[in-house]
Amino acid sequence: MAENIQKGIISGLIVGVVMLLLALVGFVNTSAQIISGLMGKTVENGTPASLLVFLAIVSFFGGMFAIRAPHHIAKSWAFVVVRSALSGLASGLIVGVFTWIIGTELASKVEMRAYLNALSPDNVRVMTVDQPALLAGLTIFGLLTAVSLASGVLWHLVTLAGIGRLITGVWTDTVSEVTSNPGVQRVASSKTTRYLVYAALILTLFVLPRTFNNFIIHTLGTVGIYVLIGLGLNIVVGLAGLLDLGYVAFFAVGSFVMALLTAPFPHNLLWSFWPVVPICIGVAGAIGVLLGVPVLRLRGDYLAIVTLGFGEIIRILIKSDDMAWLTNGPKGVTNVGQPILFGQKFNSELDFFYMIVLGAMAVIFVTNRLEHSRVGRSWIAIREDETVARAMGINTWFYKLLAFGIGAAFAGLGGALVASRSLFVGPEDYTLLVSINVLALVIVGGMGSIPGVILGAFVLKGIPELLRDLDQYRVLFFGILLVVMMILRPQGIWPAQRRRLEMARDDEPVDLTQSAEGAAK
Amino acid sequence: MNYTLETRNVVKQFGGLTAVNDIDLQIPERAIASVIGPNGAGKTTYFNCVTGFYTPDAGEIVFQGKSIIGLTVDQIATLGIARTYQNIRLFPAMTAVENVLVGHHPRLRSTWIDALLRTPRMLIEEREAVIKASDLLDFVGLRGKGDSIARNMSYGDQRRLEIARALANEPKLLLLDEPTAGMNPNETENLTAFIKRLRDELKLTIILIEHHMRVVMTISDQVTVLDYGEKIAEGTPQEVQKNPAVIEAYLGKSAVTGAN
Repeated sequence: MAENIQKGIISGLIVGVVMLLLALVGFVNTSAQIISGLMGKTVENGTPASLLVFLAIVSFFGGMFAIRAPHHIAKSWAFVVVRSALSGLASGLIVGVFTWIIGTELASKVEMRAYLNALSPDNVRVMTVDQPALLAGLTIFGLLTAVSLASGVLWHLVTLAGIGRLITGVWTDTVSEVTSNPGVQRVASSKTTRYLVYAALILTLFVLPRTFNNFIIHTLGTVGIYVLIGLGLNIVVGLAGLLDLGYVAFFAVGSFVMALLTAPFPHNLLWSFWPVVPICIGVAGAIGVLLGVPVLRLRGDYLAIVTLGFGEIIRILIKSDDMAWLTNGPKGVTNVGQPILFGQKFNSELDFFYMIVLGAMAVIFVTNRLEHSRVGRSWIAIREDETVARAMGINTWFYKLLAFGIGAAFAGLGGALVASRSLFVGPEDYTLLVSINVLALVIVGGMGSIPGVILGAFVLKGIPELLRDLDQYRVLFFGILLVVMMILRPQGIWPAQRRRLEMARDDEPVDLTQSAEGAAK
Repeated sequence: MNYTLETRNVVKQFGGLTAVNDIDLQIPERAIASVIGPNGAGKTTYFNCVTGFYTPDAGEIVFQGKSIIGLTVDQIATLGIARTYQNIRLFPAMTAVENVLVGHHPRLRSTWIDALLRTPRMLIEEREAVIKASDLLDFVGLRGKGDSIARNMSYGDQRRLEIARALANEPKLLLLDEPTAGMNPNETENLTAFIKRLRDELKLTIILIEHHMRVVMTISDQVTVLDYGEKIAEGTPQEVQKNPAVIEAYLGKSAVTGAN
């Protein structure tokens, strides 16, 4: 019982502090506005009712949080009631007292905004649900306690009834029944099915966006660019295990090659878009190899630091006055050339989206072929244990350079497309943060996994767009999402699977001498 | 006599410590040669010199008549020297078959361009390599376990897999660093018989670092004893067993003098 009391109070304190924090940074009000919006009221500020709804939601999860325990522990009713009630009481006490204090201060006309931006009179009025301070505090205290207790009891009932297990059980049974059916297996593994799936996928990718507005297409295009360069970094980090923090350099090289060769200023070369694309890929790949030569002698953390340095060097070079004759320095390059196809301008958001999808498909194709070959095996061996990989006869120097070069080439393609799409390149678009974002999407998606990288790009580049409603709290929530993700699924959303290769064999074990004969020669 | 491996006056120093001092060793073709000695005698350092992990400070290492001093680790492996490790070092995230395929790497010819274009020669080569890898897994007794992830395999299976991976190199010389470490008497006996088969059936030359004296005495054609980096005895198992210097190294001076 003592333990239950202790755990309950601790849970409550955590929930209370979280709510307090959210209130102090002003998020409580923002969320109240969103909820008001959802309830069909467009208001400047949240309404008291929407605030209560928000607090109830948080408290509901608080109650769930308070009664969590390892599976093998049987939860008694005392366990559930004590923990969820105490958790509600503790969090209610914190938030209630806070409400009471700010309510009193508001009544005595103290200008709290001087200390915290979020505590403007309007906000405080919402936080105190438009009531006198003490009453507001007591209301919130009561609400949190009641909801937390109710939530604990409700979840316990759900567990007792086995509803969760019922659903997952039926689900897994059905899935295993369907997948183990030989007919289904045959159809699923047949080539025709595979091509049909591809065809459907391509059709969706090319036809569906026609119905979207430009903003969505633009966002999808950005996601696509990140898929493209993410797959490049996936070869370097995910397959070969080389932690490269300067990956943005190759992205920048691709962009600037495209810009300088096609823009009217500073060189007035005005080359056409199409032949420049392979040049961008080639130059980025070559620079990848050149940078790789001195850098790839290092391993692990040292490699990360040095590549980080190289990434910055490239950006600063592009920006520097000494290179301004070539790169136009910090001003960047405007009016980057755009593609023309059969005499028609090919430069709408949709056109670029198509090009990006085609680019990503090419990159997936190349990655897939390399991964499932002697080359991919060597990369993974290097990632797993470089010393032993060398002792297996793998020329690690060559394979590491190859990974670096191919990864850089993919980034070059991405850079070329981005430069042309946004008509402008400036050195400040290619900061360390881009490298870190790309690395994050590879890790969140699942290292070394193509579908993982695609999902990662959607999660990391797509979700922040969806979270626009949360305006300045977007990054906060994004951070929380990443932390939760790393706790619950450290291997990534869609981790890489190893392919099954061993032959199903019915014959007797091989005669050792016969198969050995060749070996001895 | 044809020697697969000859080392002449090999010296390896780490700062002031001479880990391997002036080691002369001739390993005849198709012999099982054991290298024994107390902990820190320089046995593994000697292996590391032969496989190119360390460059000796002095001396010659000749493999099949050619000096391999100055070659890189991967070049030496490609010549046909394969090894296992004292503490198992598989590629943990890869399957057993993939581990063996990595071992087969120096015998494959297809390049990254073949992989990109998926040329027929690459497809044929890969198919044969997978068959060969499965055969090798059969050979070491891992039939049907080819698709397990190496990390998840039992200790004994991991040891077998490491040997299969080394054999995939199609080596002429196999270096086994304490292959029976951590095995029970029964497993040790099986492995001893297995090592003999490697020599008899695959016609390999084997150098063995081993602490189990029963293993060493049963299968070795030649035993070399190292102590403090120096060779203190060499000969057949029987000769070495009677050598006073060896007894002293293992049991101390009093064992030699006091025994009589």
